[in-house]
This record gives sequence, C-alpha cells and structure tokens, in this order.
Amino acid sequence: MALRAVRSLASLSNPIRTYSTSGPLVNVSINEKTGIATATLQRPPVNSLNLELLTELCSTLEQLEKNKSRGLILTSSSNTVFSAGLDIYEMYKPNMDRYKQFWTTLQQTWINLYGSSYPTVAVVNGHAPAGGCLLALSCEYRIMLNNFTIGLNETKLGMIAPTWFAASMRNAIGTRQTELALITGNLFTTDEALKIGLVDEVAQSKDEALEKAGKFFDKFKRIPPHARTMTKTLLRGADIQALVKTRNEEMNKLTAFINDPKLQEAIGMYLESLKQKQNK
Amino acid sequence: MAFRTARNLAYFSNYIRNYSTNGPLVNVTVNEKSGFATATLQRPSVNSLNLELLTEISHTLQQLEKNKCRGLILTSASNKVFSAGLDLFELHKPNADKIKQMWSTLQEVWIKLYGSSYPTVAVVNGHAPAGGCMLALSCEYRVMLNNFIIGLNEAQIGFSAPMWLIDGMRNTIGSRQAEFALTAGTLFKTEEALKIGLVDEVAQSKEEAIEKAEKFLNKFAKIPPHARSMTKAALRGANIQALVRNKDEEVRSYVDFVTDSQFQDSLGEFIELNLKQKLSK
Repeated sequence: MALRAVRSLASLSNPIRTYSTSGPLVNVSINEKTGIATATLQRPPVNSLNLELLTELCSTLEQLEKNKSRGLILTSSSNTVFSAGLDIYEMYKPNMDRYKQFWTTLQQTWINLYGSSYPTVAVVNGHAPAGGCLLALSCEYRIMLNNFTIGLNETKLGMIAPTWFAASMRNAIGTRQTELALITGNLFTTDEALKIGLVDEVAQSKDEALEKAGKFFDKFKRIPPHARTMTKTLLRGADIQALVKTRNEEMNKLTAFINDPKLQEAIGMYLESLKQKQNK
Repeated sequence: MAFRTARNLAYFSNYIRNYSTNGPLVNVTVNEKSGFATATLQRPSVNSLNLELLTEISHTLQQLEKNKCRGLILTSASNKVFSAGLDLFELHKPNADKIKQMWSTLQEVWIKLYGSSYPTVAVVNGHAPAGGCMLALSCEYRVMLNNFIIGLNEAQIGFSAPMWLIDGMRNTIGSRQAEFALTAGTLFKTEEALKIGLVDEVAQSKEEAIEKAEKFLNKFAKIPPHARSMTKAALRGANIQALVRNKDEEVRSYVDFVTDSQFQDSLGEFIELNLKQKLSK
C-alpha cells in the first residue's frame, strides 16, 4: 500500500518522461498519462534541416513506430521559426556521399512521418517555409500560431519541389490550390493558410495549440488503432509508393543536378547575401 | 535631341504591335512593355471550334512557345460568347477523315495550352459551354464576366467529355463536384462557377478582367521562369502523358462514336431544336 502510494506520488510529480534516445537536435518527451509524444526541433538558430537533424528526426519517428506510440506532436523550441527548411549548406559544394545520405534521410523522414501509423499533429509555432512546410504538411493536423507564414516557396528560389512535396500539399488543400501555390511559390499568412485549409486551426499561444492538439488525439480514443492505421495507409499509400518506387531515380537526378555550375553559383550568391545580412 | 524624340515617338507608336502571324480567326497582340500576349478568338458568330479555328489556335500556341512568351491572355472578340465549343454542324453528317483531323487538332490544342511553359489566363467574356469551357480550364487562371454560363455540358448532346478533360475538371473543382457537374452536363452561372472554384475571379467589364489577368501574370515577375515551368510540368505532366500515350486510339474511338447513327440522330435533333431556330431568327 505504502509502496503503491509512493509510486503513484512519483508518477504524479513526473508525468512527462523524457526519452533522450534521439540526441541534442530533437528533444522527445512522452506524456505518460496520455502516451502522446512531443518531438521538439531544437537546432539553433532556425531548425534548418541538415543531415544530423534529419537523422535524429528519422530515428525518433522509427522509435515511436517501434514503441507503438499513441500519437506525436511535432513542434519547435524556437519561438520565431518552426523550421526554415532544407539547410542550404548541404547543397553548396557538397561532398557527394554526404549529399546522397542527406537526401536519402530526407526521403525516409517523409516516408516515416507522412506514413506513420500513429496520429500526428504539427504545432507550427513559427515560420514554416519550404522543408518546414513539408514537415507540417506530412502530419495529419496542423495548428498554427498567429503572425507567421507557411508555404512551399521553392519556385521563388529557382528550385522545384519534388513530387512528394506537392503530394503532401495536394492531400491537404487539393489539386487546384496546390498548383497555384507551387507555381507562385506562395508563402501564406496564418489567416490565409487557415482559409484555404493549409492549416486546420489557429492558436494564440503554444499552450493553446498544445491543448487543441490534445483534442485532436482525443478523437481517436474510441477508434481501434489498427483500423485507423489501415485507413490512413489506404489513403496515403499511393503517394508513398510513388516515392518508394522512384527514390533511386530521384537520387540520381538530384546528384546530377546539384553540381550544375549555375545552380552552385546561385546558391553561393544566396549564402553570401545571407552573410551580409547577418553582419549588418 | 530631336532625333531621340523622334525615336521615342516611333517606339511609342509601336508600343502595342500587332502580330498578325496567325491569320483571320485568332488575333494575337503582344504588349511590348509587359511581354504578355493576348490571343482573341474571332470566328463569327460564336467562335465554334471547327478545324480551321482549332488549327489556328494550335499554331498560335506553338509560336508563343517558340518565342518564349511571358504570358498569355486568351479571350474572345464577341461580347456574348467566349466559345460555343466544337462546331456541331461539322460533327453532323460528317466526313470521317475530317472528324479525325478535328479531334486530333483538338488534342493538340489541349496539350499545348494545358502544358504551356508560359503562364496563361482565360478572360471569359462570354458564354463558355463544352469546348469553350475546355479552353478556359486549360489555362492556369480564369477571370469571368458576370451573367454568363460555363461548364462541360457534353452529356446534354449525347456526348462524353474525354478523359483528359474530365481530369482537367477534377483537378480544378475536385472529384465530387466534377462527377456531379459532368453527369448532369451542368452549365454554371458566373457566381456559381466562382463559388465552386471553376473560375477564380469575377469582373464587371472586359477591361477589369484584363487588369486582373495581368495582375495574375505579374505574380511571376520575380519567379525564375524555368523553375516555374518545371513545377507546372511536374504537376500537369501525368495528365498530358496519359493523353499522349492514347492519342491515336482516342481519335479512332471518337471517330467511331461520332459517325455512329445513334449519336448522329441525337445530334440532328439537338441542332433542329436548338440551333436552326436561332439562326433563322
């Protein structure tokens, strides 16, 4: 009796268990009461997706799948940026082995997240361009804080978002809006994103957003998990298979394309302009 | 100094130069300042798509692609009809060879317009049933004037829209709305079309519509063109390839369908009831 009381007291005072299996760039904590995991991107300054961050994120998602997680909230430790997207340094004069690993890990991260068996919510508590938007879109539900922007703006930078990026967007807002958004490389404000269904809810604070995320997971309380998962697989399976079938071909195209001198020059100039901004 | 003034005057008088490379049924002008082209369908009385008009449209689009057009506005010289669609008189008691050519050219027009590398806007300044709706749907953006109708009403005349057009409709208004619209051959009024996303904006006049069209085209001023066109190609490519793969087979099957007596009878009736009366007025 006394032991049970002590144990109960212990769990009351520490309901959130931290898994530090994933490492410094992604903090994972599990709410013992609800079983919901929260993965917080924490790679300063803007959670740009480099090989290390993607590797940790990918591994986190695999762990959660293995441990039959009851759900995942994906968010950011920054209060201005959710994720700035792919780390441009990974694409500038890249070591080809590392570049291949980088892209493979990105593909796998998307496959693991978009295709997760457990429900997923993105708490978008900062700007989410390009790859940041991709992570948010891969989740089943998006709650965004006010006064930020989100979108697949690759076209603005002279880049082309891969087909599976477009598939994730299409899954959320439909074909017509996706085409418009992608060819203009549009970054939507929170309100605009809500209006077209790019995000599902808006929150005034991260706490409010986490609360709303909890409500989303509650919807599945009475749903047999395997049925939920099978349904999600049927709906998302084709998109995932499309990447799985072509991932090597895509890799070959990208490795050929990345070393194009014009592209490298453009990337170099962009990095230079970033440095100048920082020095001001 | 005087020489420079004279040159400037000459420049201004050529400000909007007429390209009449394409012939009488499609008028093409290019705004030298913006680089945007305007193609105006002008086949009296209702821009119905016969072999000649389709051929000119196809040729125009080819020229624009070749000349690296910066953007196209597609519109009509009539103030009542954008395009009435396929010329039903040409489909009635037809020559099979001519149908073959017509359908083949129609496919070409779709492939070139839907798949254009340059941005496209339809200024729908009149009714746009069937083939007229097809032309509008092929563009990236649609601005429509009030008090007109638009839709794929092929079912009304005993026809079925081809697969690539069905996909085009689905990709614009979604599967559910497309199924409903196509099976009923619905013609939407401007406000309804706006509501379901069949058109993107409504304008009160052609001038206002052209302004809105240019505003859309100007969105791409700072977007690297190759990234834009490759993105569009990635999004639209599958649809286009599906048609390209089946092109000849589809032509054959439409020729068979059109020349079949069942279709000819229902078409004959439709012409008798709906078209001949109007013409005789």
